[in-house]
Amino acid sequence: MKLSPAPRILVIAAIALGAPAALLCLASYFWGLWFLLLSLVLIVIERRLSLGAQAFTAAVRRALARAAIPVGGIASALLFGALIMALTGYDPIVSYKALFYGGLVRNWNVSVLNATPLIFTGLAVAFAFQGGLFNIGAEGQYYIGVMAATWLGLRLDLPPLVAIPVIYAAGAAMGAALNGIPALLKVRTGAHEVITTMMCAYAVRTLAPMFIRANGGDPAVTTHPGATDQVSQQVWLPLFKDFLPAANYRLHIGIIIAIACAFLVRFILMKTSLGYKIRAVGHNKVAARTAGISVGKITVASLLISGMLAALSGVTQDLGLDHRMFQDLNAGYGWNGISIALLARNNPLLIIFTALLWGVLDAGGQFMARTAQTPNAIIEIVKGTVLFLLLAEVIYEKIGGWLGRLLLRRFTRGRTGADA
Amino acid sequence: MPSGVPILETREINKTFGRVIANKSISVRLFQGEIVAILGENGAGKTTLMNMLFGLYRPDSGQILIDGVLVQLDSPRAAIARGLGMVHQHFMLVPTLTVTQNVILGEEPVRWGHVQYGKARRSVADLSRRYGLAVDPDARLENLSVGLQQRVEILKALYRRARILILDEPTAVLTPAEVEELFAVLKRLAESGTSIIIITHKLEEVKRLSGRVYVLRRGELAGERRTEVTGAAELANLMVGRDVVLEVRRPASRPSAQPILRAENLRARSLRGVAALRDVSLSVGHGEIVGVAGVEGNGQRELCEVVSGLAQPDSGSILFKGNDVTRWSVRRRLDAGMGYVPQDRRGEGLILPFTVAENLALGRSDVPPLSRGGLLDPAAMRARGKGLMEAYDIRAEGPDALASTLSGGNQQKVVLAREFSRSPAFLLISQPTRGLDVGAIEFIYRRILGLREEGAAILLVSMELDELFALSDRIAVLQRGEVVFESAASATNDAEVGAHMIGGRAERSAS
Repeated sequence: MKLSPAPRILVIAAIALGAPAALLCLASYFWGLWFLLLSLVLIVIERRLSLGAQAFTAAVRRALARAAIPVGGIASALLFGALIMALTGYDPIVSYKALFYGGLVRNWNVSVLNATPLIFTGLAVAFAFQGGLFNIGAEGQYYIGVMAATWLGLRLDLPPLVAIPVIYAAGAAMGAALNGIPALLKVRTGAHEVITTMMCAYAVRTLAPMFIRANGGDPAVTTHPGATDQVSQQVWLPLFKDFLPAANYRLHIGIIIAIACAFLVRFILMKTSLGYKIRAVGHNKVAARTAGISVGKITVASLLISGMLAALSGVTQDLGLDHRMFQDLNAGYGWNGISIALLARNNPLLIIFTALLWGVLDAGGQFMARTAQTPNAIIEIVKGTVLFLLLAEVIYEKIGGWLGRLLLRRFTRGRTGADA
Repeated sequence: MPSGVPILETREINKTFGRVIANKSISVRLFQGEIVAILGENGAGKTTLMNMLFGLYRPDSGQILIDGVLVQLDSPRAAIARGLGMVHQHFMLVPTLTVTQNVILGEEPVRWGHVQYGKARRSVADLSRRYGLAVDPDARLENLSVGLQQRVEILKALYRRARILILDEPTAVLTPAEVEELFAVLKRLAESGTSIIIITHKLEEVKRLSGRVYVLRRGELAGERRTEVTGAAELANLMVGRDVVLEVRRPASRPSAQPILRAENLRARSLRGVAALRDVSLSVGHGEIVGVAGVEGNGQRELCEVVSGLAQPDSGSILFKGNDVTRWSVRRRLDAGMGYVPQDRRGEGLILPFTVAENLALGRSDVPPLSRGGLLDPAAMRARGKGLMEAYDIRAEGPDALASTLSGGNQQKVVLAREFSRSPAFLLISQPTRGLDVGAIEFIYRRILGLREEGAAILLVSMELDELFALSDRIAVLQRGEVVFESAASATNDAEVGAHMIGGRAERSAS
């Protein structure tokens, strides 16, 4: 694809304008939106110039058609939530005003903080999905990431520019190592990764209390049992406030790392030989094998990289926000990552947006519960409905077959039992 | 002797799938208490016809009559209600249920919302006694042998009061002893008034079981014969047909000194653990095409898997240019100059959600110019795609078109282009033209012969005799996992090969 000079300048301008504008938006500088819009307009103009009138109209029509399903799904889910509110005696208009004001404006920084770990775990699940694998245990890899970061953060005495990359690398390695168990089991014995990754996740979670006790959470010596000591300030992630004074004081640059990771994952999947092979195996194992691709090696690589991504989620959360490991973490970022990946159809860049959507719904839901007294549970209903409406297809295709067999087995066992 | 109103009749039935004509103007009749065989090669349209009778497909035109009355069979349910029963080649049974539960599934005797298992058990036991289908009504299906499972399928049909029983390749999965028992059961059923259609490609079964036989070839009725007055040779001719051999100019073969590929004493088992290759030895020389003939399911799949490296043989070895490659990975074999065009282009050959260019790069994504330092070069992939699309006449919107959007012929050309462009010294090709139109077939034949001219050794596995005779220098017949016949193509003919394929060896040499 050759670009004539005019469109190329437009692309450069759009990126030069869009990237800082996106940063400003994330940091609650809402006037950044105007520049973001301007950048979008530039991209539209560039597309129009390089595609020509006819192809452009076709592309617009395709994009609209593709957007119709998710937008329609989210709208229907919100309507359904409104219906539930109306039926249970809450005012849907007041509640939704609070939800969106809270999620998008007032507590936007909370939405961004919520989205950060979700982007990583969403990417982890999506990466495995692209290779035809279910990484259901992102939660466990998240935990091991937190542990690695806490352990090193308590002990490393290095300048931040060295320490932070070291901690990230160590966390990634731990996540990969943890997922190495299911990967090897899968390749050697054929054990299904849905079961093994989930089992690993539970195993790691039970390690958490011991880890915390060993790292400053001993009830005999501390007034704060159930949490480790705080990691050294040297390894805390920089804050937005350091360069954008009006940004929320808790907002850290983890979101930038997460978005960069999404672009990196996209690059790996679409532009590298490894990603190409992963997608080939994900789409059709038999054909990939016939063409000489080693399905076993690719399966291991997919699961290891997926484990790394999920562990980075924990590292980022620890270095950026928590600065310690809590006993009752109950983060659920791993489990939610599955929803986010499915919702984005495993598209790495879309994951940024689905994670933000989840973040907004969570942050806005809390705000709604505080101000409008509408229970937060409504938000869970809305989320569930969104997933249900948008993923019916995926569910029927992928999970359906697996679940169907399981149910059939149970059903038939019940029948035989009744007969005896 | 057929007389009176036929219990089942089709009149001028037509059915096409896309551009493939599956059934063309087929008229058959079945009378009460009669066993009729439908004989034909794979893809001749037998199963399509039966699926229309059973309400799984609707004919494009033509009529189906039962007891002389025109009927519309929109679903299997409608067909069952009219007294049809079908025993599929792949059983439709639930392994964890008992025999009784399987038989009554969907037709449970119910009273007050409760399934009357006692009553069901009695009627199943009663049925199996009446027709001599001895089977324990309480046994769990997964504990039964294949032959007994088939009986359960027959019981299922009888339980639904089938007067017409259709069996699709009933002996394909049975042991010889089980075949004998099945034949006895079928004869008893016919004597008690059930009409039976069996679909088969085995001549011996036709002769032993049926009174009449309809032969299908390429979707058309090639003939109807009384079994008593016909012979294996005539049936084989009808089945294979002489008039449709594609004429391809094939330069004379040059006998070569040294074989490029030798398979020696290969033994392998199928996925189900049944012996599928029993001591197969083959060799393919420089610039030679060796055709492997045989009815599907006689070890072709396992032969392909073992030669391509997808599976390991139990014993025996494969020598390529004098090297023992038996334990080599697929990758290593490909790099050494072996190639494989699998039979199922959609399932094994292509990655359908990938573009044409990506599919053409499959297996080469690590080598320049398609990638450097682990990074793909999309421009190089697209350029290569464009070049191969031109060279192989692949008709698609462009290299970025998804493989799933291509027609079957063009999909096949993508696979061939990918494998041919490696310039392999040895190429294994399985079923290269299944389901393709004549234009695409002709093109593919020319390319295969072109590769042979360049000196490649080619092993061609095919179920189409026309194809084997059009392309091969030598032909080997695989039957029940053994090479039962091997000859230079010029020294044999399709009738002889056809007779060996269906195991009519003795009869052929006698006539």
